[in-house]
Amino acid sequence: MANILNWIIFIPLIGAAVVLIAPAKQAKSIAWLTTFLVFIISCLTFGPFLDGSYQAGDYGTMQFESKLPWIQVGGTAAADGSRVGGFNINWHVGLDGLSFPLMILTTLITWLSAWASWNFEHWNVNKGPKGFFALFLILETGVLGTFAALDFFLFYIFWEVMLLPMYFLIGVWGGPRKEYAAIKFFIYTLAGSVLMLIALLAMYFASADAMGGKGTFNLIEYATIPAITEMFNSPTLTFLGWNFGKAMFVMLFIGFMIKVPLFPFHTWLPDAHVEAPTPISMILAGVLLKLGAYGFLRVCYPLFPEAGAQLAWLVATLGVINIIYGAFCCLAQTDFKRLVAYSSISHMGYVVLGCAIMTDVGFQGAMFQMLAHGISSPMCFFLVGVIYDRAHHRDLNRFGGLWLAMPKYGSMATLGFFASLGLPALCGFIGEIWVLLGTFNAPFAWAKTAAVISAFGVVLTAGYILWMIQRVYLGKLREEYAHYPDATARETAILFPMAVLAIFLGILPKYTFNLMNGTIDDMMVFLNPIVTKAVAASSIVMGG
Amino acid sequence: MELKTLAILIPLLPLAGSALVGAIGLRGLKDRSHWLVLAGVTAALFCAVSLFYQVNTELNRGGSETAAAIGAHAQIDPSQQVGYGKLAESFTIYEWIPAGAADWLNVTFRVDPLTIVMLLTVLSVSTMVVMYSVGYMRDHHGHAELGYERFFAFLGLFVFSMCMLVLAGNFLLLYLGWELVGLCSYLLIGFYYQKPSAAAAAKKAFLVNRIGDFGFGLGILLIYLTFNTLDYQEVFNMVANSKMAGDLALSTERITTIALLLFCGAMGKSAQLPLHVWLPDAMEGPTPVSALIHAATMVTAGVYMVARCSVIFAASPIAMWIVGAIGAATALFAATIALTQFDMKRILAYSTLSQLGYMFLGLGVGAFDSAMFHLYTHAFFKACLFLGAGSVMHAMAGEIDIRRFSGLRKAMPITYFTFLISGLALAGVPLLSAFWSKDEIIHAALASSTPWLGWIGLVTAFLTAFYTFRMIFMAFHNEERLPRGVEHAHESGVWMSAPLVLLAIGAVFAGYVGVTTGHGGFLGMFEPHGAFHHFLAPNFSDAKGHEMTVAAAQGVAHGAGEHGSESHWLMWLSSGLAFYGIFNAWYFYTRRPGIPLAIALASGSVYKLFYHKYYVDELYDLVFVRPLRRLGDMCYACDRFVINGILWIIAAIPRAIGFLLRGWQQGAMQGYALGMVVGLVVIMWWVLANA
Repeated sequence: MANILNWIIFIPLIGAAVVLIAPAKQAKSIAWLTTFLVFIISCLTFGPFLDGSYQAGDYGTMQFESKLPWIQVGGTAAADGSRVGGFNINWHVGLDGLSFPLMILTTLITWLSAWASWNFEHWNVNKGPKGFFALFLILETGVLGTFAALDFFLFYIFWEVMLLPMYFLIGVWGGPRKEYAAIKFFIYTLAGSVLMLIALLAMYFASADAMGGKGTFNLIEYATIPAITEMFNSPTLTFLGWNFGKAMFVMLFIGFMIKVPLFPFHTWLPDAHVEAPTPISMILAGVLLKLGAYGFLRVCYPLFPEAGAQLAWLVATLGVINIIYGAFCCLAQTDFKRLVAYSSISHMGYVVLGCAIMTDVGFQGAMFQMLAHGISSPMCFFLVGVIYDRAHHRDLNRFGGLWLAMPKYGSMATLGFFASLGLPALCGFIGEIWVLLGTFNAPFAWAKTAAVISAFGVVLTAGYILWMIQRVYLGKLREEYAHYPDATARETAILFPMAVLAIFLGILPKYTFNLMNGTIDDMMVFLNPIVTKAVAASSIVMGG
Repeated sequence: MELKTLAILIPLLPLAGSALVGAIGLRGLKDRSHWLVLAGVTAALFCAVSLFYQVNTELNRGGSETAAAIGAHAQIDPSQQVGYGKLAESFTIYEWIPAGAADWLNVTFRVDPLTIVMLLTVLSVSTMVVMYSVGYMRDHHGHAELGYERFFAFLGLFVFSMCMLVLAGNFLLLYLGWELVGLCSYLLIGFYYQKPSAAAAAKKAFLVNRIGDFGFGLGILLIYLTFNTLDYQEVFNMVANSKMAGDLALSTERITTIALLLFCGAMGKSAQLPLHVWLPDAMEGPTPVSALIHAATMVTAGVYMVARCSVIFAASPIAMWIVGAIGAATALFAATIALTQFDMKRILAYSTLSQLGYMFLGLGVGAFDSAMFHLYTHAFFKACLFLGAGSVMHAMAGEIDIRRFSGLRKAMPITYFTFLISGLALAGVPLLSAFWSKDEIIHAALASSTPWLGWIGLVTAFLTAFYTFRMIFMAFHNEERLPRGVEHAHESGVWMSAPLVLLAIGAVFAGYVGVTTGHGGFLGMFEPHGAFHHFLAPNFSDAKGHEMTVAAAQGVAHGAGEHGSESHWLMWLSSGLAFYGIFNAWYFYTRRPGIPLAIALASGSVYKLFYHKYYVDELYDLVFVRPLRRLGDMCYACDRFVINGILWIIAAIPRAIGFLLRGWQQGAMQGYALGMVVGLVVIMWWVLANA
């Protein structure tokens, strides 16, 4: 049991090797089996999260933790495993309330996407199923590793590991402008990684200074060892003339915000989605975007809470811009997939807003919104894919009356898009309302304004989604679509789990909240005083 | 059965029916799909009746003194409470969302007199409408229409959602029901989704409601911020004691903001000015849907919500004034439009707007019980009118324009008589249900600090009688004329006529639960305010108390809800107006059909304004829809040109540098040799210059 997490991370890699060895015909079955196996095994880790035992202990108490020395060079080893001087890099993974729900989401969505890739032969570009499925599985390892990593160096490595497969998956198996989209995606993320790398090294050396030479990459120790947190958040320590905490926060934030993606670094996303094949879009929207926001919650806020509180207004502004700007962009779309891509941008704005306010309700809302979006957006992308497979175009204005031709598919589509719209009793609602509630209640002076503006996003969301439904599914059935077959058994089977979860999360959100509340409460223990202090300080400034 | 069990069964039974139809309708049930939903809704109705008896018993057990005192002294241990105090406590169905670190925001229900009134109204009309739909959703040969099972599944889902809305014990669950009924309305308006106009109307309805809900949601957030709870009773108690969470005093500005934000939601759902535009378009849906959702039940949710939050509204004179003024304005505005329309369903839709305006008028002057009374009577006669219109539509092969047919009374006697009776009720003819309720509202308005609201109500009453009978005379009287393609008009079958008759009986007698008989008064035997008001009294005792205080502070003699013995002149006046309106309609449309045309020609621009619904749709399109779309285009253009442009420039820098440097490495020997020579010269010059 102790190594279960390591197995979860590496089984996809083994699967990738098998895919490469086995005949090309078997590739999709092997990928399906591997991802399904990973999903089942990851479900075995539910135990401590269901009974609430993961909540025992402070922030940093991990489940299924596994730690092995990995790269230990230079300096001298001390008896307790730490290292004076040199580099002390460990294989260190574990799960808590932040990473666990996202890991389950990853294994589930990856499995469904593997299934969604089954009509590989019917895609316009039919080349190398072996390569496709091998890269697909490597991608899963990268994502799972990033969620599980507790060593910042390891985190960084996994972060880069998932970059390359994605580049090829879009660039080789994508649509007409695949090269452009793939390179844009790659360069954007890489630019962010560079900043992360700088921060990584700066933080390592700062921690070494704080600990008398015993540097560490441990993300938990960064947040929990008082000497390090004092050093990280010290008002006097500087980095290139900037306050150290602020500089690190900003660099890491930029690295992560590209992934979310946040305005103005978001333009890679619509291009990547439009060119990527359906299953890759599902993973991209469902899982990869969450990594950015996970980075905020795992790295930015616990490590640099002072900077986070001081820059909260900026982060919240970006979140609000995302919500409104993304929704407006949706209104202008004629490409079905680009519309869903922009709606992802809009929805991720709520996640960022929830993070920005640094309260328990905000973090809960952000986490829930991530999960809700992680279910509804792959569903929407798959729904687009189903129709693209039949029509071979995605022009919203050329569709019409599809519900009549495909009643089962039409009902599923309505459910999926209404979940995305944030209808109460479906998953999107809880995340949005929770973020809004938290923002409205947040201690910052600007919070109410931010909440009111973002609440208006709900109206815009309803606008573009209903308009889209009207154009695609309602109205007169056009002749060229009349013969389309309804959703096949495979398509229904892929949609079904997401549909059930969309309803489950909306009606019984309590169980999902239970999976993460413990860890978020633990974080609040050290975040709350800092937020209170920052708010008090800013009100003194304003008063003076 | 226990109260709690019954309360859970009421929404669950229709949901179960709906879910079963949804699951097996297409394969197994097909045109028998109605049975499950009909059974579910009827069973829920029986549960509601049983619940009514339990609540009534509990109320009597508690005694009126407890009921009157409860608001101010809610600190009594809940388990010790009896009567209304016990009913006012919400009970938990299951835990829904975690609020903060420890406590939970639950799915709670609240069963009190107001809930019961709404449940009985909703479920009895629903049962009638489901029955009617069995006949309506078929062609003349009795074959079910396309999507028959879908229709009943949605109808069941609607009844479930409406019951959730009504039973909710906290604001978040109210919001859930509120949005769910909106969804059902969307799905059912768009039932004939192949029709582009129906698809557009569905979208419009949802969107306009969303705009109202934007305010409603903010109101709920502000309630949470102010009181740190969303439970009805806790909030109401704190408002009644003018307390915020943490023993801070509640400012009038804050309570006014909350009330007005909540009212935004009511304006959307109950289609009040300026968010009324969706309701007439919603008539694109099947007629039973118009009757149930867009006349009798869902659109009254706004009235219910304001009545539910009566304590909050009553605490803010400004909010009350706005509610009343918007109600009166909508009542008059919609009635003027109804004068000029020719589509039977649209006339009825504007009439619904107008009647909802009355209800808000009543709420605005503090006559909460009278508004609820009007809601209840309106449900019966308006549902009957709509179903009657549907019966005509069915017989006329989908034609609903009253210029295309006339003289149907001989061919369709049941439809005619039920339509006539309900029309008389709508017109406010004495002794029919709406007479009592409408009169109470106008009376309360006249007695309030804003009597001009009452005068608007009276003018509207005259217009109402006129447009209703304009429609009746045009459609059912004069010589028989049928639209092209219809051989002969025929009466509808028993599935459709039975609900018509039952609802017409309701339209006649429903009002008598709200009057006291035998003690003098109007016609020597009818006195307003009866068992209905007595039953609801504990719900509004706090609000009324507050109203009194506010009124007393303003030095206004407060008479809302209390008819003095000398005040029966109003009843005579309003009956007179009703008869005068009917007489005018009769004279104009059967005796001298030239007059309406002459008036229309003479008052050209005013008539056009009415006929084109004050050009509100066009205005909104110009002011909101187009600019927002333009803004969307601009944002997207910004993405493509500005942001991607900057990106292109950044990407161009390395390319430019490469371009410049490329010249140095062209691969030709002479070039390199020249470079070496030039370099050597420069270095030598530099060395020599510094030597």
